[in-house]
Amino acid sequence: MDCPTCEEMVDAYLDGELTATESADFERALDVCPECRKRLETSKAIGGLMRDLPVEPAPDLLRARIERELRGIAGRTPVARPSNAGGGERMRWMAMAASLIVAVSIGWAGGTLTGRAGMGSGSDRDEMVATYMRVASSEHAVDVASTDRHTVKPWFAGRIDYSPPVQDLTSAGFPLEGGRLDVVDGRKISVLVYRHGQHRVALSLWPATESGDTAPKVTSYNGFSLAQWRHGGFKMHAVSDIAANEMADFAAALDRATGEDR
Amino acid sequence: MARMSEAPTPDTRPDPGTVERFRALMLPHLDAAYGFARWLTRDPVTAQDLAQEAMLRALRYFHAFRGEEARPWLLRIVRNTWVDQRAKRTADQPLEMAENQPADGLDPEQSAVAGDRRRQVAAALAALPTDMRQILVLREIQDLPYKQIATVLDLPIGTVMSRLARARERMAVELRGRLGRREHGLPDL
Repeated sequence: MDCPTCEEMVDAYLDGELTATESADFERALDVCPECRKRLETSKAIGGLMRDLPVEPAPDLLRARIERELRGIAGRTPVARPSNAGGGERMRWMAMAASLIVAVSIGWAGGTLTGRAGMGSGSDRDEMVATYMRVASSEHAVDVASTDRHTVKPWFAGRIDYSPPVQDLTSAGFPLEGGRLDVVDGRKISVLVYRHGQHRVALSLWPATESGDTAPKVTSYNGFSLAQWRHGGFKMHAVSDIAANEMADFAAALDRATGEDR
Repeated sequence: MARMSEAPTPDTRPDPGTVERFRALMLPHLDAAYGFARWLTRDPVTAQDLAQEAMLRALRYFHAFRGEEARPWLLRIVRNTWVDQRAKRTADQPLEMAENQPADGLDPEQSAVAGDRRRQVAAALAALPTDMRQILVLREIQDLPYKQIATVLDLPIGTVMSRLARARERMAVELRGRLGRREHGLPDL
């Protein structure tokens, strides 16, 4: 084999694109061609350096944006419509505003979240949606799968430093599916997962720093329904792709069940 | 075979069944699509916009998907979307010039690349001309065989081979310029 041939084959050999016979021929040729051996070593080293580069997975927010588009196209989910919506023009405007918020807040995704007390700041809501996406898109939506609250509640013991109230809301149309841990602001928190038809509701809850209950504040954000409130000494964040009025039902049912419990 | 998979008319109203099938077949490759977009655009925010637009374009042309390998099919759409986006952006600038603009390299603040060596490798790759960068990313990072690279870039296999060889030569030059002998581990010239 002359050198130009040998030179041409270096890359194909390295990339496993030669047949067994061609490879054997090439290896024999390589023995008498130090230039081609050097080429081979160079290409190999480059491959090693490039494969060592960290791989960035698609950000949660990108996934959320695409999910929203797919849902919109498939038309499976009724559009979350606030009770005071004033027709199509307004909805279009809101949809546009939502995508603008996402575009602006991408720079913040993954950054440290401060000012958590501010209800529904952009990054706060992004973090909520990210929590939901971890539930909605992961292989195992829950770490402990059980419809029995007496199984789910003790599971959190020893895993987090508080004991979250766990309610089954089957009678209200939101059966408990299980629980999982999430990390928000560097702190491990409990997330309860409920089902509603084909949809899931992710409820994050942790001890409130302020006292007193607040009414659930339901907002639509980027195709998701969000609810934020304080009840029974806990701060509650619920996210789902259900409609806003269903989210309000969920929050009310949860408050009712917690109230009966006490 | 120019843009064979995109030649059909776009489906502007895919039915829910099509969307479900698309979700099952293509969404698993979103990481790959974003990763490729990341190296094409060299910017995390633009990469997200590109990946999103490409996914939606892929859905509109999904009826033309014939059960071939999904990843190269999708990456080809990412690349074509990027070419179109860029053509729009640099409409008043000859394409060749845009193609060969010097790269800024990855912003160390934005890139998740840790460590000086990795940062230098990333910068070397980012500094390569588009054609070379694309083919190296498809081969070394996406780990595609020549045949699939040919699909993504719309090139004959022979061209894939020769372009890859040239890209590696150029990458070696970049790396030698940025890293010491011990760090890059390349043989001396």
